[in-house]
Amino acid sequence: MEINDKTMQALAAGLKFREMRQELISSNIANAETPGYKAKRLGFEKALARALDVDGQQGMNIGDDRHFNVGGGGFENLEPEVFNDPNGVVNESGNTVNREDEMARMAENKIMYDTLIQLMNKKIGLKKYVLSSER
Amino acid sequence: MIKPYGQMQNTLKSYDMKNWSKSVELGNKVDFKDKSFGEVNKPDAKTFGDFLLDSVGKVNDLQVQANQAMEQVASGKSQNLHETLLAVEKADIAFRTMNQVRSKVIDAYKEIMKMQV
Amino acid sequence: MDLLKSMKISASGLAANRKRIEAISSNIANAQTTRTAEGGAYRRKEVVFGSEPARDNFADILEGELDAQAQTVHATEVVSTDEPPILKYDPTHVDANDEGYVAMPNVNVMKEMADMISAQRAYEANITAINTSKSMAMKALEIGR
Repeated sequence: MEINDKTMQALAAGLKFREMRQELISSNIANAETPGYKAKRLGFEKALARALDVDGQQGMNIGDDRHFNVGGGGFENLEPEVFNDPNGVVNESGNTVNREDEMARMAENKIMYDTLIQLMNKKIGLKKYVLSSER
Repeated sequence: MIKPYGQMQNTLKSYDMKNWSKSVELGNKVDFKDKSFGEVNKPDAKTFGDFLLDSVGKVNDLQVQANQAMEQVASGKSQNLHETLLAVEKADIAFRTMNQVRSKVIDAYKEIMKMQV
Repeated sequence: MDLLKSMKISASGLAANRKRIEAISSNIANAQTTRTAEGGAYRRKEVVFGSEPARDNFADILEGELDAQAQTVHATEVVSTDEPPILKYDPTHVDANDEGYVAMPNVNVMKEMADMISAQRAYEANITAINTSKSMAMKALEIGR
């Protein structure tokens, strides 16, 4: 059981991306009435799932720094995507933000963030327990 | 000698010395010649060491499952929070139990080593 | 840094909505004002929102890509609208003109109240966003405890 295994890195990456998502959601909520503002979204799930190889597909060889590191837990290449919401309904001032939608997203993001923190605490707690057991 | 006839002959044939010895009722003959003193020689017995290795393997499996569940939650693929936390708790408890067993085994070992021969 | 930036963005939303409520209060209070310092009836005030990429420091500005970032909002302007005042017939009024018409401000109080409720909801939404960001940051501090 090493200190920084793949799961720990996955949890840390998840935490980082959820923080970024919270930033974009805050921006959407603050700009809910700004004319011409388009709601923004952050996509990271696919990239992270691919890096973690959550489906158990075959790993791929990496010949170059720019290759995606499938299954090897390579988190250096992970870049999230910021894009405008393609399903946004434009109202008369050119704004596509639906405030209730953003609030729901924010709640979900917070819950998942809290879960990741708790899981990370559990892992760290177990390691500390092993270290502190005598004999 | 009177030769028994017919039915009585069959009946008498079925009475055999073997019927009167307990080993037949046991199924397989217990042959005391092959036993050495102080050894239990059952062919498919697992030693305590094997038992421990199996348990460690199971604890490891639980840990691997918990890790996979955590990765799925981190990547947002699974929204199954309660099952993930349950899996993590199981792995946690199994590991701590194994650690306690390890302590007790070491204690027992030390106890035995203290015995004066 | 991301969470602190989130709080800055939400704070800008709070400030913008507060300005909006100020403008609405001014409109409601002056719904009957026929005499102002600039002369003439009171003109209804409106707040225009604009968004701007949230940048912490100069390095961000140098490498900034415009649309791909979270945006702060600020009330760019408080404008007095150009709509003509409403003429009401009241010859007994002090400020009536020659035909007996008084120029009243073009403030529709019902609309202003509805705007006020909407601004209040926006304010509350930004408060929730700030609380969420703050709570996330505090939880992160508790890792490993």
